[in-house]
Amino acid sequence: MAKIQDHIFPLFKLTGNNIRRHPVINLISISIITISMLLLILYFLGYSNAARIVSSWRADLRIVVYLQDDIDAERLATLKSFCRELDEVIRLDYVSKDQALKNFKVTLGDDADFLADLPENPLPASFELFLDSAVVDVNDIERLARQLQRQVGVGEIAYGSSWLRQLFSLLKTVKYFGVLFASFLSAVTVFIVASTIRLSLFARRETIRVLHLVGATRSFIALPYLFEGVFQGAVASILALGLAYAGFIHFKEWLQIQAPQWPFALQLKFFTILPLLLFLLMGTFLGIAGFLLSSRWIRQD
Amino acid sequence: MIRVTHLNKSYNHPDMILKDLSFEINKGEFVYLSGPSGAGKTTLFRLLFADIKPDSGQIVVDGLDLMRAKVTRIARLRRRMGIVFQDYKLIPNYTVFDNVALALEISGTPRKFIQKTVWKALKVVGVERQLDRLPPQLSGGEQQRVAIARALVNDPQLILADEPTGNLDYEIANEIMHIFDYINSQGTTIVMVTHNRALLQRFKRKVFYLDKGVLQAYVWPD
Repeated sequence: MAKIQDHIFPLFKLTGNNIRRHPVINLISISIITISMLLLILYFLGYSNAARIVSSWRADLRIVVYLQDDIDAERLATLKSFCRELDEVIRLDYVSKDQALKNFKVTLGDDADFLADLPENPLPASFELFLDSAVVDVNDIERLARQLQRQVGVGEIAYGSSWLRQLFSLLKTVKYFGVLFASFLSAVTVFIVASTIRLSLFARRETIRVLHLVGATRSFIALPYLFEGVFQGAVASILALGLAYAGFIHFKEWLQIQAPQWPFALQLKFFTILPLLLFLLMGTFLGIAGFLLSSRWIRQD
Repeated sequence: MIRVTHLNKSYNHPDMILKDLSFEINKGEFVYLSGPSGAGKTTLFRLLFADIKPDSGQIVVDGLDLMRAKVTRIARLRRRMGIVFQDYKLIPNYTVFDNVALALEISGTPRKFIQKTVWKALKVVGVERQLDRLPPQLSGGEQQRVAIARALVNDPQLILADEPTGNLDYEIANEIMHIFDYINSQGTTIVMVTHNRALLQRFKRKVFYLDKGVLQAYVWPD
């Protein structure tokens, strides 16, 4: 054990010396990795939250069947049975005309005064059909809607299928774009970090020459730079995660103030422990990759 | 300690820098490599620690054939020897202590021994009070002493020195030579490159005299 310490400690000492004596170069590398990591983190944060919210909407698939005003009780009962027997329907709520008006008043809040002047309740009664998202695809909703439209007593059918399908399609595109974006950004970051390290090695070429002359092995010379890369990557990851978290909290608070009627502001979540650790590893890896690209410059004479 | 056999070196030019050199240096000897400028002294010096490779011939240093040795074994040889340069080759942003300790750290010396060993080496050369200074804060003579301390801190069997007094005045040069004398008296083989005739006269030792890449003479002290 003592022997390992005697070999490892000088490497850490050299790493500390390198970092302490070349703060500008380290600052540049850390800044570059931080910016890259921040962009990646923000992308994944946005994507993961969007995907979660859309999934929750998908789980809450529903069709609203507005009823004609002249529907009688018998027809209403028949229609209710028909809807309940549909395989895709897991729940049916009946909203009467009076209930619909009450709900509308609540939505309008202080602006609901004008409703008192209406001669009659213009809002129709409706069935809210909650669909089983495990068996219903977005495309199935259109078929169901057409089937319901053909029933006697049905007025209009309301569902968000078209925009939901577009949203799914958009999410898929964003996902594929994200893979390309992440790969490109990582490659650029590694290249820039490698160039910075190469400049750093060039600036320290005399020191490296001396180390060769007094018998240092290639690994003794190279490992402090590898550790430096690890340090830069880790620090940058922590900085990027911190900045992302601060930005996320501010955005969530802002959204809750600006758009209180949008419930999904409360659904926004930051990453759990595992993704945080993965980002930390990723930043560290970028630092190591940058070193590996430039390490061939630590050559023997 | 050193055996050179039919050594040739040309730097990819028709004119040979070193031509068919053969000589031996025994353990414990103090030998000068001398000659006029351009004779090939520095080239020979660099060959002796495998900084460059010859075109042909054999160099055996402390039992290691430098032509055949792998990079790791050459690194190990350099850790066993000390090398002193005319321009000192100290790391400017390392303290005196760190510069000398580096040689021990590279060798994997246990940490508990490093401080004491560094101090002892600096005491031999007379700069033990300069531990925390940086090389640019030292005079030329002091820097050369630190370089010598780094060379001998690992208790080497062999020290190679390239014009160690080249940048120093008469008195400081004398002091440096006395240090080398002392080291040699402890059993370390010294090979010193110099063209300084006055030095050769004042401190008489065996001389290998090079001229135009050829070993002209072995000059023995009176």
